[in-house]
Amino acid sequence: MKSSIRRSSRGGRRPAAVVLGAVLALTATACGDDGSGAAGDKGGEGSGKGEITFWDNNTAVRRDIWMEVIEDFEKKYPDIEVKYVGIPAADAQSKYDTAIQGGGLPDVGGVGTAMLAGMAAQNALEPLDDRLGKSSLNGRLNENLVDSSRAAGGGDELYQIPTSANNGTLWYRTDLFEKAGLDAPTTWSKFYEAAEKLTDKGKNAFGFTIRGGEGSIAPALDAVYGQTGITSFWDGDKTTVNDPKNVAALEKYVALYKKNTPSADVNNDFTKMVAQWDSGTIGMLSHNLGSYQDHLKALGEGKFKGIPNPTLDDGTRVQVSNPVDGLSVFKSSKNKAAAWKFVEFAVSAAENSKFNESAGQVPANTDAAGDAWIQKAEPTKLAAEALNSDSTEIVQLPYYLPDWNTISKADNEADFQKVLLGKMSAKSFLDTMAEQLNEAQAEWKEQQG
Amino acid sequence: MITKIPEATAPAPAPAHRAPEPPRPAGRRRAWDEAPRWQIYLPLSVYLVFTLVPFYWILLFALRPPGSTSLVPWPMTFEHFEKVWTERAFGTYFQNSVLVGVATLVTTTLVALAGGYALARFDFRLKRGFMLALLCSQFVPGALLLVPLFQIFAELRMINSLGSVVIAETVFQLPLSMILISGFIRNVPYSLEEAAWVDGCNRFSAFRVVVLPLLRPGLVAVGSFAFVHSWNHFLFALMFLSDQDRQTIPVGLNTLMSSDSVDLGALAAGGIIAAVPVVIVFAFIQKWLITGFSAGAVKG
Repeated sequence: MKSSIRRSSRGGRRPAAVVLGAVLALTATACGDDGSGAAGDKGGEGSGKGEITFWDNNTAVRRDIWMEVIEDFEKKYPDIEVKYVGIPAADAQSKYDTAIQGGGLPDVGGVGTAMLAGMAAQNALEPLDDRLGKSSLNGRLNENLVDSSRAAGGGDELYQIPTSANNGTLWYRTDLFEKAGLDAPTTWSKFYEAAEKLTDKGKNAFGFTIRGGEGSIAPALDAVYGQTGITSFWDGDKTTVNDPKNVAALEKYVALYKKNTPSADVNNDFTKMVAQWDSGTIGMLSHNLGSYQDHLKALGEGKFKGIPNPTLDDGTRVQVSNPVDGLSVFKSSKNKAAAWKFVEFAVSAAENSKFNESAGQVPANTDAAGDAWIQKAEPTKLAAEALNSDSTEIVQLPYYLPDWNTISKADNEADFQKVLLGKMSAKSFLDTMAEQLNEAQAEWKEQQG
Repeated sequence: MITKIPEATAPAPAPAHRAPEPPRPAGRRRAWDEAPRWQIYLPLSVYLVFTLVPFYWILLFALRPPGSTSLVPWPMTFEHFEKVWTERAFGTYFQNSVLVGVATLVTTTLVALAGGYALARFDFRLKRGFMLALLCSQFVPGALLLVPLFQIFAELRMINSLGSVVIAETVFQLPLSMILISGFIRNVPYSLEEAAWVDGCNRFSAFRVVVLPLLRPGLVAVGSFAFVHSWNHFLFALMFLSDQDRQTIPVGLNTLMSSDSVDLGALAAGGIIAAVPVVIVFAFIQKWLITGFSAGAVKG
């Protein structure tokens, strides 16, 4: 037995060596950084040279094009190196929030308008008005988008330079419409007519697919305001969201559920909804320009089209504002001069055009808006026309409210499902949301003094 | 002189063969044996449909060409795998995940062994309170501790280092692992260690030579949990690692989903790459794992 103990003892050295090796390997990889740069850190202009860190808040589809932009930038400014960090879109907010509290913010990052209010309120972003005023970009950015960016940041200062505009798009299957002898769903009347005629439950064919799961509130509001023609989200200090006309419009819209849509729609987030539309026999889908490539891959050219939100019968188009993508410089950056150079370069006409062609969105730089690719990409062209048209009224959603994300997601998405399932009335749903919005608006106004 | 430990006093090592089942009462046996086969196979088949269809769906999307709506993966393509492995750096993510998983496994097991031994063999003041605190710590969500952990790692200059994820994962898995291991250690009679002391071992060598070999099922259970948990865990890697070449598989999978579109083929291929090591690990350790769980369940 003695020998057996000795054998065990020798055998024990092997695991110990493995452990030691693992620990050494980890030590070798433990050369991290201090993650400095939290909210409240004032940062500095820096030399305008050296390394800057850029966070891409939608890496899945933007990584390649950002790498191209960075390559072009580093060619033009060989003294500046851009470190690219890709962040999954769904987690960008939490990554930024953690860094604001704990440190580790980048010099420059992609920030959507939906995140802007919270980040500005935490004093994490650098105001950009002065820089823009002195920049070659001044006067070359779409004014509507700049206004949206400014409003989303709280109204006084500009914290984001817009790069792209997205737009609500009604995608429809041209093959199914032609077969049924239907006109394109350019008005709400035609939309409801098509939803009815294209439904044949026996053949698993449906007129429309509704978004009932995550992210359901904005498309529902888009449909509601689009049908009623109410053009402002606020009437004084009270929201118009529960206006009786809006209640009636929501009732009509949710009545499509199960009657003209698949019953699984109650759990639809955009992934399921887009996958369902791309692989099934469904006439229409309300999403945005971002899913164009998915439709193209799945359905092929010529089988579908995308148009902006349907109009009222008199031709007036009312739609809710979409989040604007853009770039922000962080207050904690120790090299703001270089970070701003990157923003300026990325939103210049050539780079902004290239970026948006890849992203399938409307360029913020007006010099890029007339480029040839936009004329060829019909959904983008129509979206750009709709955004700039005098007959389009845009209902500005209150992205500036720090509580907007909570109200439009966690607080009300489950209730919207109840409305779809007939367990809650549209009126009760909109009244509850209106109460939350009025309260958040009052609180915000109080904070603004 | 070292006394041979009588085999009979040692707790039964993991059985190589399944122990014979105790005889069922005659009435129950008859009812079981005489049940029509469909009553057994139908529910099992329904269950299998629910478990296998999602796997088939993943395989289908991973292996069929982009844009195909075919319900069979034919013609078969590996372009999604190639894309995620090369263009989307899954090779690097995989390597990082392996490093984090193995390091977490090693550190969790070692520390849990030491802590579990102390819990099992020593009495100290407030021991019950300590055990309760360990259990309660399981109710604290990791997200709640992100900011303080971030600040600690920032002070240690460990942000963007795989070591930060290993430490965070280890810390979060230790309470349950220690409780599990202490249960296994309690099952080993103290008299075995005492016999080893009589034979000239000190406490550490007695533990290493006598107790440790008997803990194999428990170590496998704790180690595999630590590995699988850290392999799948997303939050710490997302928050503490920034560089693309330091990120792990779960973060890599999420980077395939944009706010407006998803490349389902690439996502499915990435999912298979993420699942394979876990499936292989479980296939190899299944026997030990089941033994470990049942042994731990006897006495805690």
